[in-house]
Amino acid sequence: MAFYENTIVAKQDLAEKELKIIKDTYNELINSSSGKVLKIEEWGLLNLANKIRNYRKGFYIHYKFEGDKKTLDAIDKKVKIDGKIIRYLLVKYKKLDTKNEYFKKEK
Amino acid sequence: MKRKNKKFQRKNTGSLNKLSLFQKSDSKFSKKCPLSIKNAPIIDYKNIGLLKKYVSDNGKIISSKITSVSYNKQRKLTREIKKAKILGLI
Repeated sequence: MAFYENTIVAKQDLAEKELKIIKDTYNELINSSSGKVLKIEEWGLLNLANKIRNYRKGFYIHYKFEGDKKTLDAIDKKVKIDGKIIRYLLVKYKKLDTKNEYFKKEK
Repeated sequence: MKRKNKKFQRKNTGSLNKLSLFQKSDSKFSKKCPLSIKNAPIIDYKNIGLLKKYVSDNGKIISSKITSVSYNKQRKLTREIKKAKILGLI
């Protein structure tokens, strides 16, 4: 088992209900395929640096989880079919720091 | 007589007497790497504030000759900048 981070960029013109569905589906998908979600972060609407598929903004969701090859394959398969997601990035880590949040909203 | 001539030439080629900007100056100045001090900031693709300092306006990575980042840290920087570019953060 190793630690991973997964970030998803969803389309900008989605309703709040649909965002919640996306967030829950990937949470269940990781948990069901021999993995364990440690933390979920929502970065909110952010401006993209350049146009991606004619979108200027994206909604970012960030997962920190523990898993093995099965979970990674499951995520890869799911994202490729999913039409609501523009980009995603999977990164492996030896140690996860769950304290620092770089995209925290200032109140 | 020859020695005297050499000394005379050195005085003329001081750092102030450069012909152009691109000519190397005689006096060496070295700046320490800003990312390998104590309590240095973490190099990570989420830490955009740090990464933006090492990227030009056109999105190119600035060379370590200008920023004086050590060779080891420069390799880490490029890897993290490319990750951030995939997500469209930079």
